[in-house]
Parts: sequence; C-alpha cells; structure tokens
Amino acid sequence: MVEDLVISSTGLTKSYGPHVALDALDIEIKSGATGLLGPNGAGKSTFIKTILGLIQITSGDGHVLGLDIRTQGDQIRQRSGYMPEYDALNPNMEAIHQVRYSGELLGMNPTVALNRAHQALEYVGLGEQRYRQVSTFSTGMKQATKLACALIHDPELIIADEPSNGLDAHARNFMLNTLQTTVDSGQRSVLMASHLMEDVERVCSDIVLLHKGKLAAQGRIEDLKAIDKEIEVHVWGHASNMEAELKGSGMDVRREGRVMRIKHRGDESYSDILLAASKAGSQVRRMHDHEASLEDLFLVIMERLGHEVKSSDDLLKGVL
Amino acid sequence: MSESPETPFEPVESKENDTFSTETPVTGKSKMTAAWSSDEGESEGVAAVASLPQGQVFEQNYQPWNGTLNPRWMRNWAILRHHVLGIFRKGHRPWGIPTRLFIFFVILASCTDIALALLASLVGSTELYDMFGVNRNNLYGHVLGFWPRNILYFPVVAALLVGGMISEDRAHGTSALYFSRPISRFDYASMKFLSIAIILFLIIDGTLALYYFSEVLVMGRGWSWIIDTFPMFLGAFLCGILLSFTYTSIGLALSSISRGRFFPAIGLIAILMGTKTMAAIINGLFDKSTLYVISPYDSVAHVCQAIMGIDSSYGELSWTWSLASVIIINGIALYLLATRVSTLEVTRE
Repeated sequence: MVEDLVISSTGLTKSYGPHVALDALDIEIKSGATGLLGPNGAGKSTFIKTILGLIQITSGDGHVLGLDIRTQGDQIRQRSGYMPEYDALNPNMEAIHQVRYSGELLGMNPTVALNRAHQALEYVGLGEQRYRQVSTFSTGMKQATKLACALIHDPELIIADEPSNGLDAHARNFMLNTLQTTVDSGQRSVLMASHLMEDVERVCSDIVLLHKGKLAAQGRIEDLKAIDKEIEVHVWGHASNMEAELKGSGMDVRREGRVMRIKHRGDESYSDILLAASKAGSQVRRMHDHEASLEDLFLVIMERLGHEVKSSDDLLKGVL
Repeated sequence: MSESPETPFEPVESKENDTFSTETPVTGKSKMTAAWSSDEGESEGVAAVASLPQGQVFEQNYQPWNGTLNPRWMRNWAILRHHVLGIFRKGHRPWGIPTRLFIFFVILASCTDIALALLASLVGSTELYDMFGVNRNNLYGHVLGFWPRNILYFPVVAALLVGGMISEDRAHGTSALYFSRPISRFDYASMKFLSIAIILFLIIDGTLALYYFSEVLVMGRGWSWIIDTFPMFLGAFLCGILLSFTYTSIGLALSSISRGRFFPAIGLIAILMGTKTMAAIINGLFDKSTLYVISPYDSVAHVCQAIMGIDSSYGELSWTWSLASVIIINGIALYLLATRVSTLEVTRE
C-alpha cells in the first residue's frame, strides 16, 4: 500500500440481497482533497457508510488511514470526522454545547471538548453566534456547525457529505474556502461527496466517480480533463471551407459560426489547423486550448460508460 | 494560515462616516466645521469629522489538537451525563420546562408520606402514624401504590422522559452524531435506557430512601428497628428498580418506533392504564384475575407483593405468572428497541 493513501479498497462489494450497491470497487484515495461524485443511487452513501465501518461489506477489502474497515470501524470513526448531508443537530441546543457534546462523544474530556468547541466554531465563522440556539440558525450556519462537530478533534480525514447543500452564494463560498483551508493550512484530507461539479473542482484535486455502484473514473482532475481537451479557433472568412478542410483531414470539429472547437490530437493539431486555414483561405484570429469543466468531463465519462470505463487510464486511452 | 477578508455570517453593518462631500449643503455651520476641522492645504475640500472602523476582519486559523481521546467508558459516560444532567443544568440535553416542573412536583408529591409521618410523630397520633409511618405496606405503597403514584406520578414522568428520547434523534437526524462517532448501537441504546431509568430511579427510590431514613433520624429509631425493617426497605427498593426498568423499557421501545414526542408518551400511558383498566373490568365482571398478566403495572405490583410479603390483591393468580409476564413484557420491549435502533441511519433517514 502506498504510504499517503488515506482510503484504499480492493474488490469492495456490498450487496443488499440481490441488489449490488457497491460492485468490486478498487479505489485509491490519496491525502488531500478528493471529490466523490456520482448521480443519485450511484452508491456514494453506501461507500461512505462502508469506509466508516458502519456496515459490513459482502466481499473485498478496504482500509481507511491504514485501518481495516471490517474490524477497526471504531478507530476509523475516532480518527475521522463526518459531516452529514442532512440535519444532524438538536435544534434546542446552543451551538457551543452541541459541538462540545460531539467532542465528548469521541471521548474528549468535557473541559477540553468545550475549549475545542470554541476554537472549532471560531474556525467555521460562528465565533459570535456560538451561544445561539441551533433552531435560530440559517442553513449555512447549520452546515458550519456540522463542520465544527466534524473538526472538533482535529481528525486526519474529514468526510463531508454535500457540504454546500442548500447554501446561498456567500455561505457556499465560505464553506468551500473553509474546506480548502483545512486541506491547505491544516494539512488534513477531505473526501467531499457532492453533486456540484463546480464545488468539487474548487476544493478537490482528485475525484472518484461512481456510477450504479461501479467505479466510473478516479484520478487527478487535471489528468481526467485531458480526455476532453479541445482547441478553440476563432476564424474570419470561409469558415465553412475551413471546417470541410479540417473534417477532410480527419479532425473532429464542432462549429458555431466563426468559432470552432477541434478535438486535440497532439502537438501536430495546431499545425494541421493552420494548414487547413491556409487551404481554405481563412484568417485565424485567435487559437487557444479550451479547458473542459468538470461538468463536461462528467458528461463525457457518462457517455463512455458503455465502453467499460474503469479508470482514468481507460478514459484516456485513444484520446491522447 | 489563510485570511478571509469577508465575515462569514451576519456581517456587522458599517456606519457611514460623517464626511463633507460636494453634495453637502453649504450652510454657515458646514463652513465653520470644514474650516476648523480640515487640514491646511487639503485640496478635496472634504473634512473627516469622525471615522469609524468599517466591517470586521475575520481571520481563519486552523488550530490543530494533539490531545488524547478517552476510551469507551468515557464516551458512554458522556451520553449518560448529557441526558441526566440536562434535568438540572443548561448545556446538556434540553428537557422542556413542563417536564422539569412535573418532575419537581412529583418529587414533592412523593414526599407527602414523609411529611405526614413527621406530623404523626409531632402530634403523637398513633392512628395517623399507622397510616403514614414506615411499615411493610407503606413501603410497598410508596413505590407501587396505584393511587396516586402509579396513575398520576410515575407513568406520567416516564412518558415525559421517554417521549423524544430516541424519536427525536430520528426526527432531527442527531442519530448521525452518535453513529458517526465510535458509539455502537448497543452503547447508544443502553446509555439512553440507563439515563431514563436513573432519573426514574432517583425519583422513586430516592424519595423512598428519604422516607425511610427520615423516620430513622426523626423518630430516633435504634439498631433493632433498623434490622427489623431494613429488609423491607431493600425489598421496596428492589421493587422501585423493577418498576423503573419496566416503564423505561416499554417507553423507549415506543420512542424507537416513532418520529415524534407525543406518540411514545401517550402510548406508554395508554398501555399502562388501558391494560389495567381492561383487566379490572374483566375481574369485576367475571371474577377472573388472570388478565392482570397483560398489565405491566399489575404484573410488577404482583411480583412486588410477593417480594414484600404482603397479601396479594390478585386473587387466584400465582405471582410466578406475573413474574413471567414481567420478563416477557420487558423482553419484547427490549427486542423492539434493539431492532429499531439497529435501523437508525447515519447518512439519511
């Protein structure tokens, strides 16, 4: 096992009767921030429960922070912090006592837990509101309180389930900044399950994509983005001719008016484009690489799922 | 260390500085103020009369923690402490004001026999002392007297306590707070159970002990009296534990199958009162006391009559049937509790 792996699994399978929720997952998640992506029913929640050691797996192996998910669930939960997607706070308690109690449930001494609760709430931006009842909090403040509960014992791994769910732009921005600070400044690892590609892209360097309980893709976002790399060209005059020239030379072209997107085939792509422009008599006004968003990548991966995509290597195969 | 220039939540609104601008109406007062407060040579013609700090700086520092986490017993103690101390102190489980007031009332009301026994000793009335002083029947009555203790006090306290105990964790999602920590389902259920049982035990057996020992102190009872009556006190004490246990197990089982506070509370009272009423009606109509085995209160009372050595009020029914009934009722309740707690979710309900 690689030393900096925080989560790893081999052939991890979880079945509920005939329904296979997780299908032979081979996952390697390194330290840092990783996004856990997948549509509804992909198996994200089951995967989280599995790595927290809350449900017994059907077959395979898994380790979190070097601990076996089959037998060392207690220790995994002690060394990690889980921020649930849904409300998990007593509305009639003050935030400070809610966070303190979450620390006590980890085995912290009450005095120490109270001290850490102050620090954690200050960190998540609720320093001034810590003596307010949770029922008076906005959604953003409740999310921040849940994060404080997860961070109180300074865990090595934070599992955040939809951390920006239901937040307005300001609170969302703050939540993502906080998670990023936790990774960058706190040197902690974050596994962030989310439907929002933009959020994942902002915080995470890596992703794990699940689809119908199977691993669709995993790896660095930058590497994965390369599968959908295109060159954007703005032309002036004879655009149709140029498009025909490019297609004639076997290039994959999408055109909208004077803007064309041409699938990247390697370094020779640029000279091929210029040659096609010269033949067609078009002026190339601008030419640059177009970086796909994670959203684009997600769609590409989903399109290719029929082609037995298992890892980023499979996705990259034949593209670069 | 990173720094965020923005305040995360509810920024403090800054007040506008009192300044002079080109829009300021030219009056005699503004001319004077501008002349006397502006620096010489100031070209903008704007005088800052006062300045206030604008906004606030929020510095986000991640502070590591290198402490040690205590083992399982400390985590369980935290659950127990959270629920029991919530009755007396802020910062723990927030019990409602009506619950706290009712507990206070029940404790006071449970002490009426102490007050009356003391009154009997003060006035020297043997009739009054026989009615309220410490003896086998009165010790039993302190715990299991139906009127008013087991119709007005203890079941209502139990109902108020168990109401939201597990159902609110399900409703608020706070079960995730427990199970995402190293808390097992067994620890969760058993600590919740113990918390309720301890509060009930403190009310029932606490006032029983007060009743017994106040008699010892006030009446100046000697060792021979204590040796004679102490086994009876222990018997009643055991009955208090059995009663607390049974009410708690039924109540928590009801709480575990619900998402609200009302159903478990009213369900517990309905079970305790309904079964007793039905058994009493059958007994009255057909002179058959067998149906008392379905009543948790009567089963416990019957067993405790045997423990205390007082005359049975359940006719031909053997107390062993009642004992079996107590075991079965608690067994079913605990099975239901365990089954439902095992289905509490962490990721979503």
